[in-house]
Amino acid sequence: MAELKNWYLICYDIRCPKRWRKAYKLLEGYGERLQYSIFRCWLSQRMREKLRWELEKILTTEDDLILIRLSQQCVRDLPKYNRSNTWLLDEKGFRVI
Amino acid sequence: MSTTNLDQRTSINLTEDTIRVSALHAFAYCPRLFYLEEVEELYTQDSAVFAGRRLHEEIDKQEDEEWLDLYLEDEILGLRGRVDALRTREGQTIPYEHKRGRCHRDENKQPQAWDSDKLQILAYCCLLEASLGITVIEGRIRYHADNVLIHVPVDDQGRQWVSDTIKQARELRKSAYRPPVVNNEYLCSRCSLSPVCLPEEARLAHNKEWHPVRLFPQDDEREVIHVLEPGTRIGRTGEQLKISRRNEADEKVSIQQVSQVVLHSFSQISTQALHFLSYKDVGIHFVSGGGRYVGSLDTRNGSIQRRIRQYEALTKSDFCLELARKLVKCRGEGQRKFLMRGKRNIKRKSPDLEKAIAQMKAVLKQVPQVESLESLLGFEGNLAALYFGALPNILGKDVSDSLGFAGRNRRPPKDRFNAMLSFGYSLLIKDVMNAILTVGLEPALGFYHQPRTQAPPLALDLMEIFRVPLVDMIVVTSINRQQWDTETDFDVRGQQVWLSDSGRRKFINLYEQRKAESWKHPVTGYSLTYRRLLELEVRLLEKEWCGEGGLFGQLIVR
Repeated sequence: MAELKNWYLICYDIRCPKRWRKAYKLLEGYGERLQYSIFRCWLSQRMREKLRWELEKILTTEDDLILIRLSQQCVRDLPKYNRSNTWLLDEKGFRVI
Repeated sequence: MSTTNLDQRTSINLTEDTIRVSALHAFAYCPRLFYLEEVEELYTQDSAVFAGRRLHEEIDKQEDEEWLDLYLEDEILGLRGRVDALRTREGQTIPYEHKRGRCHRDENKQPQAWDSDKLQILAYCCLLEASLGITVIEGRIRYHADNVLIHVPVDDQGRQWVSDTIKQARELRKSAYRPPVVNNEYLCSRCSLSPVCLPEEARLAHNKEWHPVRLFPQDDEREVIHVLEPGTRIGRTGEQLKISRRNEADEKVSIQQVSQVVLHSFSQISTQALHFLSYKDVGIHFVSGGGRYVGSLDTRNGSIQRRIRQYEALTKSDFCLELARKLVKCRGEGQRKFLMRGKRNIKRKSPDLEKAIAQMKAVLKQVPQVESLESLLGFEGNLAALYFGALPNILGKDVSDSLGFAGRNRRPPKDRFNAMLSFGYSLLIKDVMNAILTVGLEPALGFYHQPRTQAPPLALDLMEIFRVPLVDMIVVTSINRQQWDTETDFDVRGQQVWLSDSGRRKFINLYEQRKAESWKHPVTGYSLTYRRLLELEVRLLEKEWCGEGGLFGQLIVR
């Protein structure tokens, strides 16, 4: 159970502003906002399931949610066909302020 | 009827709490899992746990009006729990249990319930009978992965099984001894608690031929946030930490990406942020502007069983001596190996260095026979004197004199080399404390260092193992690589030397990069980053007094 991690794209469409705000705040705790309603998160399976469970408590059946797991190859190729700065990686493990 | 009921109620010991049905399920799965969760209050949820909860949320939403979910408790039976679903079928009340996984298949490939699941549904049946006063003829389990529904009939044998198990679980809950790991490794690979329980390492401790599978996560990729700039404020906004600096835009960090916040000198943190970080089990540490470790926020609640066992073990002087010998040997070997490694890198011959290495070998040979802590201290002093005496020999010959080393001094450090060592050891003790607090041990009770007011002895003890690989090595290699600027990176005030702001930044970078490097554990044989090794070593130390010892203090650089 070495914790393998992957990048995930998380996109949603939420019909009610109250639920939208809750979900938005929750997702901010897990990853980075790319655009409104699109987040990217670096998650292990354990964290993904935790996030899905927490989202499930907020969303109702009329809302849409999709999680897309990006393989290592997908992420590696991303800079080739995107504007620079679209997907910056910072894997230092620490931050000095 | 009601009076006899009352009599029974008063006759049972009211301090004896009821047991959760899900804990009974854990008990049937593995008694050690039950013990770790119920007595030692260790919970780690894995992906299956959350997926299971989500399944329940989804069922909740799909169900029509016949959905009924009930929280029940019965003191006579000694059980409490929440029934997944209760349905009425042909006039009978039937509890349902939903499972995310697959069912068990017997020899004829026929679907069966897993034993622990069967016990769980029977326990719900008994709980319903006891608290609602009805008779339940069967319980049903739905396995969602292969979509199988299994009927579990309730009979006297089943009821007996439930009450026997409750009795056993209660006995175990009162016991002070952690049960051994189970023989079935398959259970462990599926268990959410394996990174805490370390079953493979326990098996290795009993059987040296065992090839452990790594169940311990390889790395912790969350960030350590060092706040050096005075006047910086840490606050909370939603699920994020907000870092505000003067004349700069606010920075936000998602909470899931933070493992520690280290506040150097006088940066500020709000109470809201403190609450939030403690709730999320993020370490909070304070280091003074001069680079001295000040302390950590200790949010442990519970974990008392682990500490009681620690007190018990570490008040036995023989046991402490044994551990201390291992520790001194580990540190001394590490120092000697580091000198030998240094010898390979320098071209010129150095008779002093050769001599020190040989003398250290002779001293180390005597360590296992040392009879008292006092003489052990003497041996350690000897080793340290030899080591620090020989250390200047492994510095490159073009290193400037101001970065040279002529013996260890501290409080305050008198030269640049010592200033780096002191700051490095502060960062190290901070990380060791973080690991001790994560595992839930008592930092104030150690086995080698004696109680003083200055620093927690257990942290000082554990730190010995990591001094060479995490601090000494980076100081020497960074000096040999000419990475330091003798003017701007240091703050010289008469006799005293500190790292300047830029020097501290540089050092933290070197230190954190080193922690991210991985090292193959010499005994377990799998590689981990130093970030994880710190925690693993504390857990292995805890095993020393739980009958699963023998793996602690084996980390020696090659």
